[in-house]
Amino acid sequence: MINNQKDVLMDLVINNKHISIRAGGGRCLLDFLREDLSLMGTKEGCGEGECGSCTVLLDGKAVLSCMTPMERAIGREVTTIEGVGRPGNLHPLQQAMMEEGGVQCGFCTPGMIMSGVELLNRKSNPNRDEIVEGISGNLCRCTGYRKIITAIERAAEKMS
Amino acid sequence: MKVRGIGIGSMVYGVGYGFSRPDFASAEVEIAPDGTVTIWSGASELGQGIRTVLSQIVAQEFGAAYEDIRVISADTDKTPDSGPVSASRSTYVQGNAVLAACKDLKQELISLASELMGVESNLVEIQNGQIAAKDKIGKIISFSKLASEMHVQGRRTHGFGWHNNRTLDVDKNTSQGDAYSSYAWASQLVEVEVDTQTGRVKILRLASATDVGKAINPQLIEGQIEGGAVQGLGFALMEEMQVEQGVFNNANLSTYLIPTAADVPPIDSLIVEVSDPSGPYGAKGMAEPATIPTTPAILNAIADAISKRVRYSLASPENVLKVLGKIDGSGKEGFLLLEDIPYPVA
Repeated sequence: MINNQKDVLMDLVINNKHISIRAGGGRCLLDFLREDLSLMGTKEGCGEGECGSCTVLLDGKAVLSCMTPMERAIGREVTTIEGVGRPGNLHPLQQAMMEEGGVQCGFCTPGMIMSGVELLNRKSNPNRDEIVEGISGNLCRCTGYRKIITAIERAAEKMS
Repeated sequence: MKVRGIGIGSMVYGVGYGFSRPDFASAEVEIAPDGTVTIWSGASELGQGIRTVLSQIVAQEFGAAYEDIRVISADTDKTPDSGPVSASRSTYVQGNAVLAACKDLKQELISLASELMGVESNLVEIQNGQIAAKDKIGKIISFSKLASEMHVQGRRTHGFGWHNNRTLDVDKNTSQGDAYSSYAWASQLVEVEVDTQTGRVKILRLASATDVGKAINPQLIEGQIEGGAVQGLGFALMEEMQVEQGVFNNANLSTYLIPTAADVPPIDSLIVEVSDPSGPYGAKGMAEPATIPTTPAILNAIADAISKRVRYSLASPENVLKVLGKIDGSGKEGFLLLEDIPYPVA
């Protein structure tokens, strides 16, 4: 990407780790995460705020990182899929997605999990309608959503 | 007014390429001294789960642990030619190739096991993840022990398999014949609610029965059935590529709508198993069959509800209102009616 913007000091917390680096400004948060921090878990689906694949948490709230200017994250806390859980120490929702078969091609999965995690943080025992609403901004072409919805239900049960 | 209707869609699908077209796959397997097995297959993983299914096949054939199987797939530098993943052929053709690679090595495995256990090789059987001697209690050897011995004794540890899905062409003059070696069948039942005021169609519930031959992995099959039905729902109610002089007018996801979680009805996935001896363990292709009956089932249900048939390829609210005569449908506005498509008459 041609970038004529000045460098900015990106001072923020990412996945519970404080970082402070100079980076070319004027880009979206998604590009900053992937290109500068090599956090490749966050996916770019449409790049225009329609599909939800790039969802991350900004101060605990789900945002579309492709539509969020990177500068908006300065002084705030960003959580990506890498900060949700790691192999051997998975988040209950990641575990449930595996067990329930909520993953097929996997491209929507990180964004789907971020939306699910935000929902579960907000509401410990969501009903089916609330789950559907919570992930209605995340498109999935493979699964038909039902196994993803079930996975969020299972995760909620485990977490309560 | 809201009216309800029920519709059925059914289909038959030829698995693989058929019509005597080339349809083959090769695969390799190798047993390592630690009891792990590597599969090389050209089959690409798209999320349908072919890596899982191929691993299951190897675990079943060798009595190895599923976790100990590694798949190297779809790398033209390393893997043999398995042809594309298309025509619902990956389990059927590429699975058969992996099965053939296992069989290539299995005799080696059995002859060594018979020597180690001191029994005739026809008494050796691989069952429930173990290699055991038939009728001789206590004579059991683990796959990992056998794998290690294969290397120590310099046995062949590499197997190759090739499967050719041979089919016949149809008669050139009559277009009649049996062009595929395997056929998949599926039926779907849909209940809809049509709002005659707005033309909006809501799917209340959907049942999908798919004959898969043998469900090697039922969870993956359910995923394909549900995903296929939801794609079919999109084709019936939401998705239309609007092309004008070769240019897409709705080339993004805000104008070309696909189903979201909120559009999905309760789905009953029914797995039907009518074994096909030509597939691995009787399995046949089922990916495309899961999506084909959905659109006709929905259009039939709409016809049942409003007593008029939507002949547009898309039952959008606008098109439903045109069929109901609530808005002018004479201009067609670039939509192609199914009756406009010439149908060959015998």
